[in-house]
Amino acid sequence: MLGFAKGMAYTFKQLTKKKVTHMYPDQEMVWPERFRGIQHFAPEKCIVCNQCARICPTNCINLIGKKSEDPNKKGKVIDTYDINFEICILCDLCTEVCPTEAIVMTTNFELASYSRDELFKNLEWLDDNNTNVRGGDA
Amino acid sequence: MGAYLEQSFGLQNSLVFILSAVVLLAIVLGFVTYSIYFQRKILGWMQLRIGPNRVGPFGLLQTVADVLKLLLKEDIIPKAADKPLFIIAPVIAFVPAFGVLAVMPFTDKLHFADVGVGLLYYIALSGITVLGVITGGWASNNKWALIGAMRSAAQMISYEIPLVMSVVGVILMTGSLNLIDIVEKQKEMGMWFFIPQFLGFIIFIIAQLAELSRTPFDLTEAESELISGYHVEYSGFRWAFFMLTEYVYIFAMASLTTVLFLGGWLPPIEYLSFIPGIIWFALKFVAIVFFIFWLQATFPRMRVDQLMQMGWKVLLPLSLVNILVTAVLKTVL
Repeated sequence: MLGFAKGMAYTFKQLTKKKVTHMYPDQEMVWPERFRGIQHFAPEKCIVCNQCARICPTNCINLIGKKSEDPNKKGKVIDTYDINFEICILCDLCTEVCPTEAIVMTTNFELASYSRDELFKNLEWLDDNNTNVRGGDA
Repeated sequence: MGAYLEQSFGLQNSLVFILSAVVLLAIVLGFVTYSIYFQRKILGWMQLRIGPNRVGPFGLLQTVADVLKLLLKEDIIPKAADKPLFIIAPVIAFVPAFGVLAVMPFTDKLHFADVGVGLLYYIALSGITVLGVITGGWASNNKWALIGAMRSAAQMISYEIPLVMSVVGVILMTGSLNLIDIVEKQKEMGMWFFIPQFLGFIIFIIAQLAELSRTPFDLTEAESELISGYHVEYSGFRWAFFMLTEYVYIFAMASLTTVLFLGGWLPPIEYLSFIPGIIWFALKFVAIVFFIFWLQATFPRMRVDQLMQMGWKVLLPLSLVNILVTAVLKTVL
């Protein structure tokens, strides 16, 4: 019997306590440093080593390299770089494997859209996605 | 209203009846809308959440939006359902819920029918709702609906008995089944019935929660076991009618508790009688509704075997003891 009263008193006290709800869409969320969000891609850093595409567990990264326009430079430069966010699981493997940190995680995550086509992100879009980058340098 | 009821039936007084019923229905619908809103708010606050806050200022239009959505929904009747019964079940459930309000005295002036056996009328009519529930569960042709309906029937019938027995004490002390007489008696005695009839009051509160199928007796809904009980197959406005029935019963039961045990429209001390009776009635009424939601936030659901044991082995003997003690005291004193 006393237990009932104790329980009732407890729930009653909860009424006035501070609410834990975060007003998410109204107030921005602050995510921890290692939050895995949509990648930022820096084309000038990329050496077209293909490691990100190979390690990707869902095969969502497609990239094509081309010969550098400067004949004195060795190696390739990036031509197209696409990530398909229909299947990307944001596993962080591509950013871990990248030797030049051309691809890094951000804390942006709002991907909802009305069309599935919009989930197919290309090089320009990923380059422009340069806010909230992990490590703080875009 | 009493004067109108004594006239012979004519165009003028039937118009008055219809209008007053519509006004009462509007008040009840308003109550239902905002009791759902406050239920969600209170449950939210007690669980450290905010509760509905998106639709309209402070989420005040949330229930309105929900109801609108229900009314616009496609009307689905399952292919294997018993069609006529399926259609009539929500009506059978709702009509008694609204009908019981006819005898409810809100103040000594503001009431509809002043029936001599008002309490008996209330209890008898509220028993019919179970029929609607069973009809709905059976007509759905769904095992979960049927189990839910069976549980509901077993629960309602088991708890109806202690509910009636617990108010017999009040009836004995008043010597009348008329709800207005019961309140007048409390005025005469100078104290409300929950003090001399404390045991009866406790039994009544427990049994009424079971009758309303509110937590901790919400076995008929049992979201985690039976999906939602007897109205699994219902959607749209038929489902809305079942929900409406549930909340109109909260209205009716809270009114009945106020009248029987908390002195209806009487002020707590004579000094405060300048405040109109309807305010006192509303305050007590709101307190009871809050209490029901408070319990809902606090307690888990009872097990189905414990439910029957509680009804038959605890509440029924206790209410019989209550009647005996009341009868003995009435004779001796």
